[in-house]
Amino acid sequence: MESLQRKAQELLAAGTVKLVIGYGEGTGVRRRPIFVRTGDQAGSLVLDPACTQNLATYLTKAEVRALGRTALVATPSTLRSILQLAAERQVREENLLALVPLAGTIKELTTFADIEAMVATLPDEIARADQEMLTQLGAMSVVERRAFWEKELGRCVKCYACRAACPMCYCERCTMDNNRPQWVPVASHALGNLEYHVVRAMHLAGRCVRCGTCGAACPHGIPIHLLTFASEGSVRRQFGQPGGASSRPTYALATFKPDDKEDFIR
Amino acid sequence: MSRVGVFVCHCGENIAGTVDVAAVAQAALAMPGVVAALDYKYMCSDPGQTMLKKLIADERLDGVVVAACSPRMHEPTFRRTTLESGLNPFLCEMANLREHCSWVHDKGPATTAKAIDLVRLQVEKVKRNRALAPIRVPITKKALVLGGGIAGIQAALDIANAGNPVLLVERSPSIGGHMSQLSETFPTLDCSQCILTPRMVEVARHPQITLLTYAELEKLEGFIGNFRATIRRKARKIDESLCNGCGVCQQKCPVKKIPDAFNEGLANRSAIYVPFAQAVPNKPVIDVASCTFFKTSKCKACEKLCPTQAIRFDQEDKIEVHEVGALVLATGYRTMPVANFPEYGYGQLTDVIDGMKFERLASASGPTGGAIKRPSDGKAPQHVVFIACAGSRDRAKGVPYCSKICCMYTAKHAMLYRHKVHGGKATVFYMDVRAAGKSYDEFVRRAIEVDGVSYIRGRVSRVYEEDGQLVVKGVDTLLGGEPVEIRADMVVLATAVEAQDDAEKLAQTLHVSYDPYHFFAEAHPKLRPVETNTAGIFLAGACQAPRDIPETVAQASGAAAKVCGLFSQPELTREPVVAVVDRQAPPLFSSCTGCLLCKDACPYQAISEEAIKNRAGEVIKTVAQVNPGLCQGCGTCVALCRTKAIDLQGFSNQQLFAELMCI
Amino acid sequence: MAEPFEPKLTAFVCNWCTYAGADLTGTSRIKYQANVRVIRLPCTGRIDFMMVLKAFARGSDGVIISGCHPNDCHYTSGNYHARRRWMVFRDLIDFVGIDLARVTFSWISAAEGAKWASLVNETTDRVRALGPYQEIGKLAAAGIE
Repeated sequence: MESLQRKAQELLAAGTVKLVIGYGEGTGVRRRPIFVRTGDQAGSLVLDPACTQNLATYLTKAEVRALGRTALVATPSTLRSILQLAAERQVREENLLALVPLAGTIKELTTFADIEAMVATLPDEIARADQEMLTQLGAMSVVERRAFWEKELGRCVKCYACRAACPMCYCERCTMDNNRPQWVPVASHALGNLEYHVVRAMHLAGRCVRCGTCGAACPHGIPIHLLTFASEGSVRRQFGQPGGASSRPTYALATFKPDDKEDFIR
Repeated sequence: MSRVGVFVCHCGENIAGTVDVAAVAQAALAMPGVVAALDYKYMCSDPGQTMLKKLIADERLDGVVVAACSPRMHEPTFRRTTLESGLNPFLCEMANLREHCSWVHDKGPATTAKAIDLVRLQVEKVKRNRALAPIRVPITKKALVLGGGIAGIQAALDIANAGNPVLLVERSPSIGGHMSQLSETFPTLDCSQCILTPRMVEVARHPQITLLTYAELEKLEGFIGNFRATIRRKARKIDESLCNGCGVCQQKCPVKKIPDAFNEGLANRSAIYVPFAQAVPNKPVIDVASCTFFKTSKCKACEKLCPTQAIRFDQEDKIEVHEVGALVLATGYRTMPVANFPEYGYGQLTDVIDGMKFERLASASGPTGGAIKRPSDGKAPQHVVFIACAGSRDRAKGVPYCSKICCMYTAKHAMLYRHKVHGGKATVFYMDVRAAGKSYDEFVRRAIEVDGVSYIRGRVSRVYEEDGQLVVKGVDTLLGGEPVEIRADMVVLATAVEAQDDAEKLAQTLHVSYDPYHFFAEAHPKLRPVETNTAGIFLAGACQAPRDIPETVAQASGAAAKVCGLFSQPELTREPVVAVVDRQAPPLFSSCTGCLLCKDACPYQAISEEAIKNRAGEVIKTVAQVNPGLCQGCGTCVALCRTKAIDLQGFSNQQLFAELMCI
Repeated sequence: MAEPFEPKLTAFVCNWCTYAGADLTGTSRIKYQANVRVIRLPCTGRIDFMMVLKAFARGSDGVIISGCHPNDCHYTSGNYHARRRWMVFRDLIDFVGIDLARVTFSWISAAEGAKWASLVNETTDRVRALGPYQEIGKLAAAGIE
């Protein structure tokens, strides 16, 4: 933690970066993102296992971009998000510096190649609890699953916190905000909720890095991250092209193989 | 407020017999936005068209729905009528009440209800239609023909004779291709070079044709009508303007033992060489890998002895960029190497040769002056075995297709052998005899009945050498599978026709599709055999599939006709059903986020980047851009786009949403 | 007595293959049940999965999606992209509990008029047996639509 604060001070003092995005103390045991612009603010930076939010979501904000070169405290998921954003031309190498806590020190990664190399060494698994939930849901019948999601999504109030938290939801005009035509109704009733979350999960297929921040952000504790895990899992299983693997575009749904295996088309 | 007119056609009894057309028209009048509706016997007839025009004018319609047959039938007809009445043709849609309704359902209320639904779908769609104008693309009226074999030569001559400039690019030092290696050609047995060389000379002398030999295409940018081709002109090490083709350099070159590819290794050539005597252009090339000067800095005999001082050892490759409007691909084929056949000796048996090598033996201008001689000892073979289908129709060899030309050239080879070695015996092992062209079957019968060639239906399992002869172990299936063993002096394999080694790389450079065997893919196997799916790139000859000379020439002329058709218009007009990236008011400028994930999905590479700039020239954001000259309107990018910043004119999101909402 | 249930089917088809195939069904006068409404698209690649959701939300009991066979796409590869999209979409909607039996995918070429008729008949019978699709529709009824 101290080394992180020191590192942030150094970077800011030297003018290497104009902004350091990291974690600070939040309410109770939570952590929240903080934006350190001067050396004396660096003391607010914390680093502990509760720091799990994917901070890459701020890299695409106009306010952050306007400030200049940014350093970012990066978890493994954050690194993957950075690569996926790079593949989608949303971040540039020269504007970014990743700060990776590694064995007591803070490693600086300044190129996408370095980030790719680091990511290749990191495990790529989802949390045990989530894996178990997915298995449970998979074992249910279609009707049972319908009932499960109807109950869960019934609590959604369309606050769009999940969308705001996701690094890959950076579209300035989200398709949900479109009203000509209005594919997905805005009000928080059951149909609109279902359509919104299905659409979001499809838009993330092949791009999601499975950080789970969307589920963590939901104020009603709806496990919506399971939906994106499901669509991303489907892409991995069938095409082997996961999101966040490379800074070069490899979007699974923009490519195809002539012999993609399908058994459901007559 | 929309003013849509609905015209329900009876189509005689075809629709009216099953659907209550009057009820459909009445229901249509009640639909929001419809101000006029009528039904009539034959909307496509003259009176029907007149009715349409009158109602458009009288009721000031801004949208038309013709509820009749399939749009695949008459959409152009009604769109033209709409245009003639002063309304934009893309404001006219058709509801399919015939093929999709009256012809497939029984008379009854359900059928009429479906007809009304189908009309409603189109009314809702047409209310969101936008007036669209055809897209115009300028055309550079110059063609690039890639490949100087008979296909490229024919295409170049046809295009040039129509008055268009042509750039013919060939990678070897001379044009002529495989046809220049052949001896006599079937089914007439006239000499290949005799019919080819006049064409080659015509190409060289044609005022509209620029011939670039020893040159290769490195890069192709742009799109139909507007290509930029980057061509590497490899250094011949000769100043072509000074060389007069006297040949002294070849005679005096001390390096004379290089296996000659033109003669399939049956003869040698020198390091400075012209590929064959009738080469066009008749200018030599220095093979830098074999030349003594380039290896050891000694010699320079050619430079000393050249009467016109044309040798230029320091010449470099030259890169040229040419603007062209269309390409014809005529890059030809190769044959499967004999080394591919472990059962026939791995290519190690000198007297087991392939068809090309036999052509060089039989050719009057070949290394043996046309005499058939065994490559091993130069003696005339007394018994030659010809094996057809060597590699073709054989999944184990990776070639399941038929190579088309081998049955004919095997018969030809056997006949030539019998003509030249009167006492010799010729045996052909075949699976089927495919002689489908004009005079082809008569030709094969001639080989059997007049020239006494033996045809045995069966395959050869092994060829090996014993006491200076080749033991051929085959089977005669027409005699019930009886094994046949022949001691032959020479074996000729009719090896499979395959795509060139670098066909895949070339296809990728040009963004042309290719099949699993690396033959270039035609746009439609029956109806568009000389076009590719890449607009402006056409196909001629064996690079598309194995074929013989008459078909190649026909296809080359076909490709040339397409090119001339393209060039005959002042500009290219295209249907405006294309994708468009939106623009919004500042500060958004466009909903496109510039992720460019759509770019890879486009089958026509129609999507590129565009920088939106402010007045000071600074880039505000980078977004996707669709080239309306290339976009074919499939809509894959539209379905892919998360934010729906890209939309398809004619099948826009609003139109489809409206259709769905009224179901 | 209530009317017997007649399923509403929405079909998304590509213009060059399946739509033409359906035209051939008409030209050949092969009869099939009248429950389907066809939405014509240039290519299956144009099919956004949101359209499928919308079709169900608007009361369709079944959806048919059909296009050119792989390798035959008029636009070369639109159907390949569509196929990939469906492979993922199918898993996802199964995961949220939408009955996959109500969605039918097929490749129908312009020559397969008979196949179109048999597909529509078979799908209509199957969806009729499954009954009206309440699951999504009732959500819509609960809302503003």
